Amino acid sequence: MIARAARQLALVLALALIPAVVSGAWQLAWKKAEPLAAGEVRLATAREWGARVQWVDARSRAKFERTRIPGALLLNEDEWDKLVGPFLDAWDADKTLVVYCDGGSCEASHQVAARLRKDLMIGGVLVLKGGFAEWQGL
Amino acid sequence: MHIRILFGLATLLLLTSHSRAQLQWDNLVQQFQRTPQDEGLEARFTFRNTGAKAVTIKSLRASCGCTTPRLEKETYVPGEAGAVVARFVFGDRKGPQRKTIEVRTDDDSAGPVLLDLRVLIHDPLTIQPALVYWKRGDAAAAKTIQLTAEAGQPVRIKRIIASNPRLAAKLETVKAGEHYTVAVTPTDTTQKESGEVFVLTDFPADAPRTYILQVRVK
Repeated sequence: MIARAARQLALVLALALIPAVVSGAWQLAWKKAEPLAAGEVRLATAREWGARVQWVDARSRAKFERTRIPGALLLNEDEWDKLVGPFLDAWDADKTLVVYCDGGSCEASHQVAARLRKDLMIGGVLVLKGGFAEWQGL
Repeated sequence: MHIRILFGLATLLLLTSHSRAQLQWDNLVQQFQRTPQDEGLEARFTFRNTGAKAVTIKSLRASCGCTTPRLEKETYVPGEAGAVVARFVFGDRKGPQRKTIEVRTDDDSAGPVLLDLRVLIHDPLTIQPALVYWKRGDAAAAKTIQLTAEAGQPVRIKRIIASNPRLAAKLETVKAGEHYTVAVTPTDTTQKESGEVFVLTDFPADAPRTYILQVRVK
């Protein structure tokens, strides 16, 4: 009786595993294939560019001070007026700017990139797909 | 026997899904128009538990650190109303803003709810571009910045102040209250330079704004 129940339980678990595996595989494939939106760049591409990239951290000052991509400059909309001067002093016009925020649903990198392009009319501004979470490998 | 058990389980699941708790939101999208002087706003997203069970709000996640959602309490019994109050601090933002708040409850069968806060932070003076720069060795020719007030909202520029004497700035009035230009000319472009041009306006009357134009030789 117990052996039979165990067999049935194993069968139910095995059946439940099939959609889970299919869903997991599909999600992994989807994540890989997720297309870039206009003005975005993948981490691997930006890394290939090496020193030709200037990272721009669009997160809060507190997060920037805690941890950031090495060499990143802080520029966010919370303190835009205060930060933009020092940012432009450090900015190298020959480098591509790659802006990042937390990742996931954060919009700060897109907003900062838009202001760099539209207000300051700086060319070569991209947004890091996946944001800082992608950099951290999360 | 087994078929009866399976049927019973299926019936139970069906009944559970029909009697599940749920929050009915009054307005998932809220839109506002503000000015930078407002500094921030609070939006109330009201809801009612129209289900048959109590609902507990497990988490509120804003898309921006500038937006802080709060709740008076977490659990709402059937028929009870409540609100998520979202405080959006503008900082130095301007233009159209969209902030979302993801609400997760203990009944997430239909997925999380997304509250949508849209604010137009309206600045009557448009500056294009807010930065002019030269690379070292470029011709030291003047570059012009356009300052345009929105129609029907005159903004008068009282004067400008250049922070760096090697980056000379000259204000020209195209049409008073509506359109101005600032022409910036570096003395030369042999060395790096950094400066700002402060634009003093008469708007708004109670706390006139000063805009900053950025000037660099890189």
